[in-house]
Amino acid sequence: MKSIVVLHHLLLFFFLLFSHVSSWKKEEFRNCNQTPFCKRARSRKPQHCNLIATDVTINDGDLVAKLITPNRFEQNPDQNSTDFQPNPLILSLSVYQDGILRFKIDEDPVYNPPKKRFQVPDVVVSEFESKKLWLQRYTKGVIDGESFFVYLFDGYEAVVRSDPFEVFVREQSSGKRVVSFNTHGLFDFEQLRVKKEGDEWEERFRTHTDSRPFGPQSISFDVSFYGADFVYGIPEHATSLVLKPTKGPGVEESEPYRLFNLDVFEYLHESPFGLYGSIPFMLSHGKSHGTSGFFWLNAAEMQIDVLGTGWDAESSIVLPSDQKRIDTLWMSEAGIVDAFFFIGPKPKDVVKQYASVTGTSAMPQLFATGYHQCRWNYRDEEDVKNVDSKFDEHDIPYDVLWLDIEHTDGKRYFTWDRALFPHPEEMQKDLFSRGRRMVTIVDPHIKRDDNYHIHKEASKNGYYVKDASGKDFDGWCWPGSSSYIDMVNPEIRSWWADKFAYSEYVGSTPSLYIWNDMNEPSVFNGPEVTMPRDALHYGKVEHRELHNAYGYYFHMATSEGLLKREGGKDRPFVLSRAFFPGTQRYGTVWTGDNIAEWEHLRVSVPMILTLGLTGITFSGADVGGFFGNPDTELLVRWYQVAAYLPFFRGHAHHDTKRREPWLFGERNTELMRDAIRVRYTYLPYFYTLFREANVTGVPVARPLWMEFPYVEATFNNDEAFMVGTGLLVQGVYAQRARDATVYLPSDHTWYDLRSGTAYKGGKTQKVEVTDADIPVFQRSGTIIPRKDRFRRSTVQMENDPYTLVIAVDGSGSAEGELYIDDGKSYEFKEGAYIHRRFIFSNGMLTSVNLAPSTSKFESDCTIERIILLGHTTKSKTARIEPSNQVTDIELGPLQIRSGVRSSVLTIRKPNVRVSDDWNIKLL
Amino acid sequence: MKTHTQSFILLVCCSILVLRSAVVVSENILGVAPKDEEYYKVLSSSGTIKCRDGSNSFTKAQLNDDFCDCTDGTDEPGTSACPSGKFYCRNAGHSPLSVFSSRVNDGICDCCDGSDEYDGKVKCTNTCWEAGKVARDRLRKKIATFREGLTIRKHEVEKAKLSAAKDEEELSRLKNEENILKGLVHQLKDRKEQIEKAEEKERIEKENEEKKKKEAEEAKLKEQKSEENVVEQESAGSKSDDEAGAHDHSPSDEEYYKVLSSSGTIKCRDGSNSFTKAQINDDFCDCTDGTDEPGTSACPFGKFYCRNSGHSPLSVFSSRVNDGICDCCDGSDEYEGKVKCTNTCWEAGKDLNKAHTDTEATVTHNDDERDASIDNIEEEHAEENDGPSKVAHEHDPKESSNAAHEHDHSHAPGSKEEDASEDADSLSREELGRVIGERWTGKKTEEQHEDAGTARHNDNGDDDNDDDNEYDDTSDNGHDEEYGGYDTETEEDHHKYEDDDHMNDVGDDHSSDSHKYESDDEIDMSDMESTSNPSWLEKIQQTVRKFLDAVNPFQTPVDTSESENVRKEYDDASGKLSKIQSRISSLTKKLGHDFGPEKEFYSLYGQCFEIKENKYVYKVCPFKEATQEEGHSRTRLGQWDKFDESHRVMVFSNGDKCWNGPQRSLTVRLRCGSKVELADIDEPSRCEYSALLTTPSLCQEGRLKELEDKLEAVNKDQPQGHDEL
Repeated sequence: MKSIVVLHHLLLFFFLLFSHVSSWKKEEFRNCNQTPFCKRARSRKPQHCNLIATDVTINDGDLVAKLITPNRFEQNPDQNSTDFQPNPLILSLSVYQDGILRFKIDEDPVYNPPKKRFQVPDVVVSEFESKKLWLQRYTKGVIDGESFFVYLFDGYEAVVRSDPFEVFVREQSSGKRVVSFNTHGLFDFEQLRVKKEGDEWEERFRTHTDSRPFGPQSISFDVSFYGADFVYGIPEHATSLVLKPTKGPGVEESEPYRLFNLDVFEYLHESPFGLYGSIPFMLSHGKSHGTSGFFWLNAAEMQIDVLGTGWDAESSIVLPSDQKRIDTLWMSEAGIVDAFFFIGPKPKDVVKQYASVTGTSAMPQLFATGYHQCRWNYRDEEDVKNVDSKFDEHDIPYDVLWLDIEHTDGKRYFTWDRALFPHPEEMQKDLFSRGRRMVTIVDPHIKRDDNYHIHKEASKNGYYVKDASGKDFDGWCWPGSSSYIDMVNPEIRSWWADKFAYSEYVGSTPSLYIWNDMNEPSVFNGPEVTMPRDALHYGKVEHRELHNAYGYYFHMATSEGLLKREGGKDRPFVLSRAFFPGTQRYGTVWTGDNIAEWEHLRVSVPMILTLGLTGITFSGADVGGFFGNPDTELLVRWYQVAAYLPFFRGHAHHDTKRREPWLFGERNTELMRDAIRVRYTYLPYFYTLFREANVTGVPVARPLWMEFPYVEATFNNDEAFMVGTGLLVQGVYAQRARDATVYLPSDHTWYDLRSGTAYKGGKTQKVEVTDADIPVFQRSGTIIPRKDRFRRSTVQMENDPYTLVIAVDGSGSAEGELYIDDGKSYEFKEGAYIHRRFIFSNGMLTSVNLAPSTSKFESDCTIERIILLGHTTKSKTARIEPSNQVTDIELGPLQIRSGVRSSVLTIRKPNVRVSDDWNIKLL
Repeated sequence: MKTHTQSFILLVCCSILVLRSAVVVSENILGVAPKDEEYYKVLSSSGTIKCRDGSNSFTKAQLNDDFCDCTDGTDEPGTSACPSGKFYCRNAGHSPLSVFSSRVNDGICDCCDGSDEYDGKVKCTNTCWEAGKVARDRLRKKIATFREGLTIRKHEVEKAKLSAAKDEEELSRLKNEENILKGLVHQLKDRKEQIEKAEEKERIEKENEEKKKKEAEEAKLKEQKSEENVVEQESAGSKSDDEAGAHDHSPSDEEYYKVLSSSGTIKCRDGSNSFTKAQINDDFCDCTDGTDEPGTSACPFGKFYCRNSGHSPLSVFSSRVNDGICDCCDGSDEYEGKVKCTNTCWEAGKDLNKAHTDTEATVTHNDDERDASIDNIEEEHAEENDGPSKVAHEHDPKESSNAAHEHDHSHAPGSKEEDASEDADSLSREELGRVIGERWTGKKTEEQHEDAGTARHNDNGDDDNDDDNEYDDTSDNGHDEEYGGYDTETEEDHHKYEDDDHMNDVGDDHSSDSHKYESDDEIDMSDMESTSNPSWLEKIQQTVRKFLDAVNPFQTPVDTSESENVRKEYDDASGKLSKIQSRISSLTKKLGHDFGPEKEFYSLYGQCFEIKENKYVYKVCPFKEATQEEGHSRTRLGQWDKFDESHRVMVFSNGDKCWNGPQRSLTVRLRCGSKVELADIDEPSRCEYSALLTTPSLCQEGRLKELEDKLEAVNKDQPQGHDEL
């Protein structure tokens, strides 16, 4: 016994020694080789697939075909009868407005497969079906074999080639391909079958056994993007914006990009392993074609290889060689092929096309776009009060204070630790009296405690996910022994939503919003820290089939709950860690448990940009890094960068030192306050961009190439990003940086927003960097609305006047928009909003109404200041029409900050109302 | 230039102001403090004025026109237009206040007179009179506290001066005594050595004689020996007969000698020589370290092991063997037959057990009392000090050892963490869940372990029991649920626990082997020296003189009782010396502390203050350490580090290390109060604690004056202010 103790201590000792070297437990997660379906698929050679498409017909507006193996077709009598004879598969292909091709491949029900394969419900928005173009006919032709052509979009057609089977999209006139499926013959579809004697279906990983009662059922195929320089997307990985090849000659062999929602402790940057969320949507971009996209709606574990040029050198396939091409290999453990091609051709077209399938992002409440203060944990009411008052003491604006798991009574969500939080309503009301909201955490694991009302109801009603034997699945999470609500079932979601009623969630008030964490789901004692794949959901669906969507349904149910409690009048705010296509409709996500390191600050930018590209624009990373203690410089830089990213929240692990902005000396307090204030200054702009995302799906924070699709130098830039079309933000990711190298695209002029200095675009500029801020530029030709006054929170800013910053382009003109609504309700859907377009040209600024004339929304807000960048004029006054007043033009600061000296043309106090039509002419 | 709208707005604003409060007379500029009014006066004469920061200048019309012309806000004292501006509220009836310009017309009443909200969007009631009253009452109370505290403080400063002087005096006296005693000890030592030399010489002579005799009367001698053995057996009762002469190896050493039976020759432990079987206990010293003579007096550095069945075994100096004095209670050291020793082991053993229990009981129930066995210096000078009003008592580690073991177990799952990566496969599902969860929490899920009652790793406690106390006591500290501390196998930690042991010993047992925290005993020690000072030192001096005069070391045979007395006296004196030295070191340490400019913190030395917060008891011992106790487990929040912020903050640092975190630390903010009380304790970041301690030491005259002036000012303002309302 003694020796065991000694050994134990020794192990501990070594653990302590190395714990900070590598905390990520690589061996706890499966790699491709330990994942049989992935290993099988990855080892297949091109032209493995011998399917051919036959019986092509038009049915219900779709093109339908059978995919069969030729020997069966030929009914070869010599065929070895013991060979497994696959059944034909059914292909159905549909065309949707705006350049979207969707095709599904599934087993044919006439052959009575043992089980219906899972198709992910509630992801594709209902409006999408209404955009379907009902196919009437196809044309037959020959391209390397018999092919069937259907019209896809103006100038594009979809092609199904019969033998060998292939699906692709091409430009009608040139015949140039855009995207293609099964071009390399790697398509493989493991059909469900009845278990035979001797079949070994169980899979083991570490101590866990997956019973796999339905046997192998994986799907894999290749997808090629043409005219592509790079591919992007498929979050969530802590990697560069550009997806590096994982396989191929001259490529450092790596794991495929994995999509499997996991709670990863201290994740690494630069790793293709899966994190908290999964979106199987890839975009390609290149100079020659532009942008295209591929989306596979499938919620099972997925692995994706990006194949380096020349990977297929050994195969004899000859492809059109004049087109630069990127090939990818997609592998999934289960489900069906439900695939979408997006033809682009511009970056924004692709994201819009994707958004028309999975929805645009929900319009956030105005408060949610402000700064959020979180920590694991603000311990008690006194702590909350203290933190809140410190913000006021230091005149730092913030909108939301967050409570992590410790606020609950023993990790029973919807309850309060009454010793720490005896008066939750009063606490929330007190915060709200200064315009501030509160967020509490609600996770999907439910403590198995018979006195806990949620557990009682859920177990009584059978609302839990079941284990393989049919009992309520029992896993370990924060509360100890826990069960997990089966959110796939709409009835259960509805029950869950009711739990957010004020009468049910005792201690909640209308200013309380919700945070969903651990919804991958995280199961501490499960395989790979999640739920066993053979656990069973509603409708006998195996967990393996929907794993990646579990958190999505949970997020959805919570969001519905917040909507319900206010009778559908209040926009929900729910932050989720897990995500899936469609998550953007229900709330916000963040990049999970990052680390207080410069590399994590750096990688947060491509991670958030990737989320934006794949639909989820309202995302952010924990400011400062969740684990560890950031040094002060890193913390300040993190605030400065994150202030320009869509979701802006400071958060920290409970083992870390306190890091609220006022704890690092006066100078640093000032720097962090400035960073947060900058964010509040630009809130009118952000809110306008959130509205744009809500309408079109175009993200708030964008990779440079989205705005400059023809500028090759931007394609793999993920250190800088655009906020809307107007701001270019260059992050600073290194210690003691004295300067930054910024690539300013195109022939625009760029105005440094710190000094007003104009920089010529189309080249790399070296700009000075101080600790005070990071380089941010306004692009010429844009007008950006700001509010240059500071308040405690967004609530008090409501009536404050605006500042317009006009950066004129070479022709002396500029444009910008401003969207305003009540910031909280859905009345904007009835047209209750202000939407203006500001156009500046020929020395005159005009405000044009974009809102319906019947808009019931009003605002007394005025414009107090108009700043003109790049405009040269000798005029000292400007005339305002229709009021026919004259106002002064003088030199003023670009930003009102003590010590910042800049002199820019300022139109003083035009005091026109934002809701009115007017113009201002420089005299 | 001015538009109609603007003038209109200004007009409206003004009229609102006029209506709302008559305080704002037309000359007063909105939001400007009276002391700053001068700055704006220039406006009426020159028409234009510079911003304070020089960034710009502005006209009278631009003053408070809701447009920011000065980046520092000089032109907009009354609006929210400039972000870095301040708005001054008069708050008649209360005290004036400057609020951030961001508060102006933000819909929230920040000034009690409501002057910050003048755009009519909200109605602020004037709460200044009431709030002012409350504030004044608070101020009065504070002043009362300060006055009371100041009196106490003065008293304490006086007392501190006296105590410090006393301590210093004691120190110098002790140093003096130390010198004298050192001399005495030195003399005694010389004398002792002389005696021993003489004894040895004598013995060798005797030996030679006896050897001759032995040779002559070998048979007779044998007979005699066997007789002795019988006696021995009779007296010891249970002892089986060993090979002649070998019975006196201690059991643990027996292994060493076993080689002899096989190889026939063996090395001395110190390698100085080797010897054969025949040379063991042949009453001739072959090994300088005495390896070959465990049972005789032949080697001066040897040790003789008495079994003392019925009591506890004992190792005595080889000089005691056959010296005519019964040193072992079983009498085994006197086998020559010159004296007959009765076996007193059984009885003595009984007494010992009894005494042991008694001591324990005392310590447990009255741990502040001194241990009876302590040196007579203390006995002679023991005198109760007028102790502090609230002195916290330390814990008895014995009390806690059981609980501590239990606690150890609760760590175990956490320390499993490290296996998790290597060895997760061997864990049960439930354990695996915990282990993985702890990655994120470090300690937090621990409570759940306790809940769940994991009974693993009992082995620590049960099997290590005989290991040593160290283990038991460490678990005390191990409480902090961190595995760094728990791991006793590493060097550093080992030391750490040794330290802790001392600490516990001192705090709990007041045993005298502590050097570090002797200071704790200071309350008992102080003054004691002076009361009966001359007697003991003189006594020793006299005794020593007597010895030096009386005993002639070169005289043979040596007078055994005299030489024994010399030895005893030497032991006593050197014991006293080391006591004095440790007292000197603790006094030096104490006096080395910073007790504040007026030594106002002197009385806090040696005191502890505690507060109960939920399940924890926090204990702050200034100049020593701070701990957190839960039940019987104890976590060190920090050791005394220093004062900070000009004696307004006490810093305790380098506490027990946190799992996955820093070493614990505590900052104690000090505030004036009439009593020394720990008022508040908090853990704002994990393992960084903060507390509030009220003490008269902080009740400074200057500060009191400020408060009184403030009250006077507010009171003077009152009649007017109230009338205005």
